[in-house]
Amino acid sequence: MTPVLEIRGYTLDYALPKGAFRALDDVSLAIARGEVLGLVGESGSGKTSLAWAVMRHLPMNAREAGGAIRLAGDDLRGRSEAEMESIRGRRVGMVFQDPSTSLNPTLTLGEQLAEVLVRHRGLTRRQAWEEGTSMLGHVGLKLPAEMMRRYPHEASGGEKQRVVIATAFACQPELILFDEPTTALDVITARQILDLFARLQQETAVASLYISHDLAVVGGVACRVAVIHRGRIVEEGEVRRVFAAPRDDYTRRLIAAVPRPDRRLASPAPADEAAPPVVEAQAITVEYGRPSLLADLLGRRRRFVAARDLDLAVRPGEILGVVGESGSGKSTLAKALTGLNRFAGEIRFAGRRLTGARDMDRLYRRDVQIVFQHPDSSLNPRQRVAEILSRPLKLYGAAAAREIPGRVAELLEQVRLPADFARRYPHQLSGGEKQRVAIARAFASHPKLVICDEVTSSLDVSVQAAVIELLLDLQRRYGTAYLFITHDLNLIRQIAHRIAVMHRGELVELSTVDEIAHGPKHAYTRALIDAVPAPVG
Amino acid sequence: MSELLGRLLRSPQGAIGCAIVALAGLTVAFGPLLAPYSPEGLYPLARYQAPSAEHWLGTDQYGRDILSRLMVGARATIAMAFTATAIGTLAGAVIGTTSAYLGGRADEAIMRTVDALLSVPSLLFALLIVNLLGKSAFNALIAVGIAFTPGMARITRSVALAVRKQDYVNAAIARGESSLYIVLREMMPNVIAPIVVEMTIRVSFAVMLFATLSFLGLGAQPPAPEWGLMVAEGRKFMHLSAGMIVWPSLAIAAVAIGFNLLGDGLRDALNPRT
Repeated sequence: MTPVLEIRGYTLDYALPKGAFRALDDVSLAIARGEVLGLVGESGSGKTSLAWAVMRHLPMNAREAGGAIRLAGDDLRGRSEAEMESIRGRRVGMVFQDPSTSLNPTLTLGEQLAEVLVRHRGLTRRQAWEEGTSMLGHVGLKLPAEMMRRYPHEASGGEKQRVVIATAFACQPELILFDEPTTALDVITARQILDLFARLQQETAVASLYISHDLAVVGGVACRVAVIHRGRIVEEGEVRRVFAAPRDDYTRRLIAAVPRPDRRLASPAPADEAAPPVVEAQAITVEYGRPSLLADLLGRRRRFVAARDLDLAVRPGEILGVVGESGSGKSTLAKALTGLNRFAGEIRFAGRRLTGARDMDRLYRRDVQIVFQHPDSSLNPRQRVAEILSRPLKLYGAAAAREIPGRVAELLEQVRLPADFARRYPHQLSGGEKQRVAIARAFASHPKLVICDEVTSSLDVSVQAAVIELLLDLQRRYGTAYLFITHDLNLIRQIAHRIAVMHRGELVELSTVDEIAHGPKHAYTRALIDAVPAPVG
Repeated sequence: MSELLGRLLRSPQGAIGCAIVALAGLTVAFGPLLAPYSPEGLYPLARYQAPSAEHWLGTDQYGRDILSRLMVGARATIAMAFTATAIGTLAGAVIGTTSAYLGGRADEAIMRTVDALLSVPSLLFALLIVNLLGKSAFNALIAVGIAFTPGMARITRSVALAVRKQDYVNAAIARGESSLYIVLREMMPNVIAPIVVEMTIRVSFAVMLFATLSFLGLGAQPPAPEWGLMVAEGRKFMHLSAGMIVWPSLAIAAVAIGFNLLGDGLRDALNPRT
């Protein structure tokens, strides 16, 4: 039987000002009917380029250097744009990463779904609307008729992704490409989407190419997996075989880097439980929404409580994990502790009570540092690394002017970067290197507490492992406490001593790692842990 | 920097814009030295001449050489336009960035004031200021500078708002930096690129605004060889010699287009992603 999708020796270059960049190199794949092929790779490995090559929608500077892409035997490379238009959506569907950008915000969900049915299945609008409603019911939406009339902004991320999936399955295509369909969603929603995918996949026996950077997710959904690295497929085989006994060196490194909760990385918790906390948050409440004079006069107050009555104490030398979905108030807490948000309640620090950003003096600022999620935006693009790193040294008077270049070199060495990086601008560094610079900046003042706000979530898994190792190394060396905010439960169970679970602005559970492992107290924590895909290998 | 210039010259509009602006710059610098005749030398015997080998662009109603007047007048026209734009840009950039950094009520108050000023067309606004201050070239410069400030403040603020949300500004606040340091060292360098682009485009508006003011008799005063004034004076003698209007008008148009193209080219060169 001919496979649904067959790619033979496909090579793709991008013409860049500096010369050709090989995005895909001699890629060969085949997917049979009813099969799910997982394509795993880190950012820049060419996995999304491959999806667009199959869709025949490549950027202007793409140059195809050879190979064939066959859909059930016919070569798509030979098809004209007009022919492709009737193939896309009808014979090949696609589900994108972020449902909030892949849906048109000015059309209702129903119109977007019905459009596909009218165009490719020749239904009338009325038929298409009815068919669409039943499809939305089929993908597990509770009120399909109402959902059809809603606009994308009136639906949650999970609901939107269900609509996108319904659209992709609408014309019973032979092949569906999934490009990181759960990456932009929260853990529990992602779990539900994965369950839906498994069900639809079984019902329709469609051939699926499931692209993801997350090995655990691919391990759960795919039959076979292909690992792509710098445009080359380095390994392909049965999921279980590849993850249990990887043959390629790169696959082995990738699998080793995946966080596993049963493999503890951190040193044991500091023994002295009675030691006074470094920083203690008491009844911290944060409300968003500016009080407006006019709204007050009209008696209308629209405030959103992002964090309610948070009590949290960080002990010296401890790693306190904070987990929760997006919007649960994790980052709000970090911003309150660093004075970036107004808050009610108080922070206790070194025997003093701080009730707002004004109370945070130089001493507090020096001892409580923060590292942000996106290293691209946390380093000023117009400053060289030397200037970025020397700023805290000058500000806190940690070094005399002539010592500064030496101290900058030391800081760079501490985060395992060469000293000549001091002359570079942030855009000349990779994501992981930038995050190391941000960490070096936080450690310049020898702080007692470093708040890590999703510091690894924008990094690839192998880079993440190296950054985590660095952070743990620094923690051992200086006894710094971390408030480690993340949505990655597997990761936090590897490194934290205690874990705080947040849900809708409230702290629902605060337990030690062992307690969490042996059975969490709160129902939400349990739901969260159940939703996390089991680690591979 | 040289990389930026390379990218700028590679785009057609950037290359043409650069060429025209460079030519204009040379004229501003060396025009008075190179001009074949004195701009105010009267030759009653050689009035209303058509272009010839002696007078390349012909002569005007007093027999003055039009080419020489254009070359000398470049200083009054282009240098003035550039200075006025620079004044407006600087004032606008400081107001806009500060407003974005402060946020809240202060931002609201500053921006509503700016909006109110923006509702007055810049020509009318400049006319108003010149009428208040009295007519002279210097007052026209101040007027154009002030007329440009609200627009630049608005543009700067929109850029600065995006910069304000960046984590490096948050990091600076969390580090305990002073507001002055954050506005000048963290935010300003990052808003400057789009502002430079906007400024080059505005120079072309300023050239035309100056020409208009002079044309209306509110800017430079005769016998200054300012281009707008030359057009205004030439209007009366249009039926005797069309060149008296055509050449200065073409010069104004060329400079305006040159700066506009340079601005477009810079926009692309500074933002390689678009």
